[in-house]
Amino acid sequence: MARKMLVDEELTQTNHEEAHFDFDLFVIGAGSGGVRAARFSANFGAKVGICELPFHPISSEVIGGVGGTCVIRGCVPKKILVYGAAFGGELEDARNYGWELNEKLNFNWKKLLHKKTDEIIRLNGIYKRLLSNAGVKLFEGEGKIVGPNEVEVTQLDGTKLSYSAKHILIATGSRAHRPAIPGQELGITSDEALSLEDLPKRAVIFGGGYIAVEFASIWRGLGAEVDLFFRRELPLRGFDDEMRAVVARNLEARGINLHPQTNLTELIKTDNGIKVITDHGEELLAGVVLFATGRLPNSKRLNLEAVGVELDKTGAVKVDEYSRTNIPSIWAVGDVTNRMNLTPVALMEGTCFAKTVFGGESCKPDYSHIPCAVFSIPPLSVVGLSEEQAIEQANSDVLVFTSNFNPMKNTISGRQEKTVMKLVVDAETDKVLGASMCGPDAPEIMQGIAVALKCGATKAQFDSTVGLHPSAAEEFVTMRSVSRRITVSGKPKENL
Amino acid sequence: MATTFTAPKLSSPTFQTLCRNLPVFTPLPNPLSSSSRHRHHHHYRLHLQQQRRSLFVVRAESENGSEPLRHYDFDLFTIGAGSGGVRASRFASNFGASVAVCELPFSTISSETTGGVGGTCVLRGCVPKKLMVYASKYSHEFDESNGFGWKYDTEPKHDWSTLMANKNAELHRLTGIYKNILGNAGVTLIEGRGKIVDPHTVDVDGKLYTARHILISVGGRPFIPDIPGSEYAIDSDAALDLPSKPEKVAIVGGGYIALEFAGIFKGLQSEVHLFIRQKKVLRGFDEEIRDFVGEQMSLRGIKFHIEESPQAIVKSADGSLSLKTNKGTIEGFSHIMFATGRRPNTKNLGLESVGVKMNKNGAIEVDEYSRTTVPSIWAVGDVTDRINLTPVALMEGGALAKTLFQNEPTKPDYRAVPSAVFSQPPIGQVGLTEEQAIKEYGDIDVYTANFRPLKATLSGLPDRVLMKLIVCAKTDKVLGLHMCGDDSAEITQGFAVAIKAGLTKADFDATVGIHPTSAEEFVTMRTPTRKIRQGPESEGKTGNEAKAAAGV
Repeated sequence: MARKMLVDEELTQTNHEEAHFDFDLFVIGAGSGGVRAARFSANFGAKVGICELPFHPISSEVIGGVGGTCVIRGCVPKKILVYGAAFGGELEDARNYGWELNEKLNFNWKKLLHKKTDEIIRLNGIYKRLLSNAGVKLFEGEGKIVGPNEVEVTQLDGTKLSYSAKHILIATGSRAHRPAIPGQELGITSDEALSLEDLPKRAVIFGGGYIAVEFASIWRGLGAEVDLFFRRELPLRGFDDEMRAVVARNLEARGINLHPQTNLTELIKTDNGIKVITDHGEELLAGVVLFATGRLPNSKRLNLEAVGVELDKTGAVKVDEYSRTNIPSIWAVGDVTNRMNLTPVALMEGTCFAKTVFGGESCKPDYSHIPCAVFSIPPLSVVGLSEEQAIEQANSDVLVFTSNFNPMKNTISGRQEKTVMKLVVDAETDKVLGASMCGPDAPEIMQGIAVALKCGATKAQFDSTVGLHPSAAEEFVTMRSVSRRITVSGKPKENL
Repeated sequence: MATTFTAPKLSSPTFQTLCRNLPVFTPLPNPLSSSSRHRHHHHYRLHLQQQRRSLFVVRAESENGSEPLRHYDFDLFTIGAGSGGVRASRFASNFGASVAVCELPFSTISSETTGGVGGTCVLRGCVPKKLMVYASKYSHEFDESNGFGWKYDTEPKHDWSTLMANKNAELHRLTGIYKNILGNAGVTLIEGRGKIVDPHTVDVDGKLYTARHILISVGGRPFIPDIPGSEYAIDSDAALDLPSKPEKVAIVGGGYIALEFAGIFKGLQSEVHLFIRQKKVLRGFDEEIRDFVGEQMSLRGIKFHIEESPQAIVKSADGSLSLKTNKGTIEGFSHIMFATGRRPNTKNLGLESVGVKMNKNGAIEVDEYSRTTVPSIWAVGDVTDRINLTPVALMEGGALAKTLFQNEPTKPDYRAVPSAVFSQPPIGQVGLTEEQAIKEYGDIDVYTANFRPLKATLSGLPDRVLMKLIVCAKTDKVLGLHMCGDDSAEITQGFAVAIKAGLTKADFDATVGIHPTSAEEFVTMRTPTRKIRQGPESEGKTGNEAKAAAGV
């Protein structure tokens, strides 16, 4: 397949010069972004090498695994545990539907954990096959950059391989980080939380982001006592405020103890577990303490300083709109660039990279209207702007439509939990600027809504769509009356 | 939400929400809450009546003198308080019309003399059906949960009477809510059987009411073919309210109702036999979906009897039923259910005498504005047998209210109406099937994904998901979307917005996925499974041959 090089320098290069490189592309890190970029580049005809650390469920500087965070230590195992935990509530709900279950249900954590590990090992194998089927050469070991076109891979046995590559792609992702408090070594991160030997009886979680609320839901659903500590008034900073409050309410109603505006200050080992001390002077004992206080890019051991690749102050690799670093032959995609740290975004960045560099088609990732989900129980999913963002950005009035209802299933199960949906609309253009939902199936429901928003659908177009009855999703097309109108001046006013 | 009022998803102060909606449609003073509404009740009524009178006069004058100025008891009299009738009545009233609606007394089983406010959807259709689906899905969830580490010391048992009691309590609650909705909207509810006497008069159990417009929204009822022993068969009304669990049930029919009940009874631990006349279930659906759902249901233990038509039912001495078909006789059924179609409730409505035309199935013929052959008589919903879905009846009812009372002639729009089958696994669809698309557009690209969902890899169950996009080769427009698998109905709704808006495959591709979900497959289908071209070179090829040729 004939390759068209889009990048200026290469257009001037002769075929003779091209032949000097061992690879057209060498990728460091075989996670979502790296694998996608490698495969697509190979499909465009490039000769591609990729290196990745040996497989292990818990990552470190020297272990990782093909598939990366999403497959081994993120989305996939997390979702598996959420499925497992959701049965806890489901089974309670079954009783009013006439099902007679034992008072005390048995849950075998080891079985779930074992099956989860089997599944990620299976997926790890599938990813390896995907690479080899695409003709990508996989190296196991730690990759380092030694020059703008030179990569060194340290294999398991310590031997070092050195390759030249026309382009180098950094796709090493990120890792959970721990706050610097005394006793922090007693706590765990999400990596370990996905592979705990035993289900904790009492767990403390520190953090208010999506990882924190997801683990709170998982452990609670499986029967643990859970205390969630976070710095803000509400969890999930950055999401729509109204939806944040809904999530907080649901977590609490499901039996999770929330401790807003509270920091952990110290962990102390005792015979009965870990003693947790907060900045409010509270003390409590926990079997497990999880730090879900953020993730940092894996950029330390890549030797980037030596070649002059610029990092920002968090350690993220700085890139332009095409994912190119300040060194023209070195590129970066995914969490290591700390743009929008989501698997599908890393996939998009990887695809765009391959198209730009090897596909003859200049392609910038488009970060507008990226939907996302928080797999709390029940889950939250959003696309587009939050109400606060819409008010900030809009040039005209903003209309807010909300629906707050008792899902049909709850009418018999008796579960007291409302589903909340929200559309934020530009009053002048009628464009739907944002959609959010917290309730069962929210992430599945939101995907189609995301297509509509991405293409600038108007509220009138939502209204003209016939509902699918009886579903929760039909609420999105039957919101007739405005809940409130926010005028440009930003002063909320009830619209009557 | 309360504004839609199609399902029991009630925001807490239903009433307030309702009232808040009023001003959108009328310039009436706004009753803010139930208490203030009550306080201002008298004043409000008075105002409303003045409003109505003036509305009526204006309308009468605008009729060009073709009809003498005449006083009517109501601007609109609706016969039948189901989805379409309630919607039309409420909206008409909100637009300032004086409205009455009549409905038969409540019963879970419908007949010539029983019905109930809420209609089929709420009392004998969507709602109780979905509640039964929720109940029955648990047996599959118990199986799934085993794979996720959950264990039951004793196998979960189902108590039929608990479910029926809780379901019926919910139906009573809902019919009450619907009555309140009508009352709150200022609609007069009359209990009894309505019959049309002349183009402007309705007789309800001997009492006569005159109305400027009459709306027929009496819906449909299950139909059981007349075979020997058919008196032993039950229909979907009865199936939703059986006094005890059916041990072994035969379901006759291959439509969505048959499939939904097969799933319900199977999940509630009955032995289920499904008898279908054709080779496949769900005539009219996408062929691939028809095959797929049949396979998945078989895997869940439903016994299919294909190309087998019932000829007689025999009751034996022990009370059990035998079903005689063209292929033999199967014995030992506790119940035989017929899901062999529904017929419009147009008998004894007085339609023939006033000249309202019906088609051969008894459905009322209407124009694009839901007007019958008698200018003052209108009809919406299943009784017109257009697309028999609750949201369509709502659309028709809403459009009619606008046409009649808001000076805004509105045609219901039947393009890209999504629908779902709550079989197990469920189906969601919107737009054209592959077969329809080939017929209408010729050249199409078909994208399919047939995969084992993440949940099934852990549960170890043979569940799969099928997703399908049908794209116009020329314009890139997505013509149809089909899915069978968990959450299909919920997933399809959002895509229905996109398809209704006329979006292209490129628009789907430009959307980032939500990971990990099933729905993300619809935005990550990169390569067509087959390209179907009807060019001269492939002339003479049928769609299927073309498919086989292009099948990659």
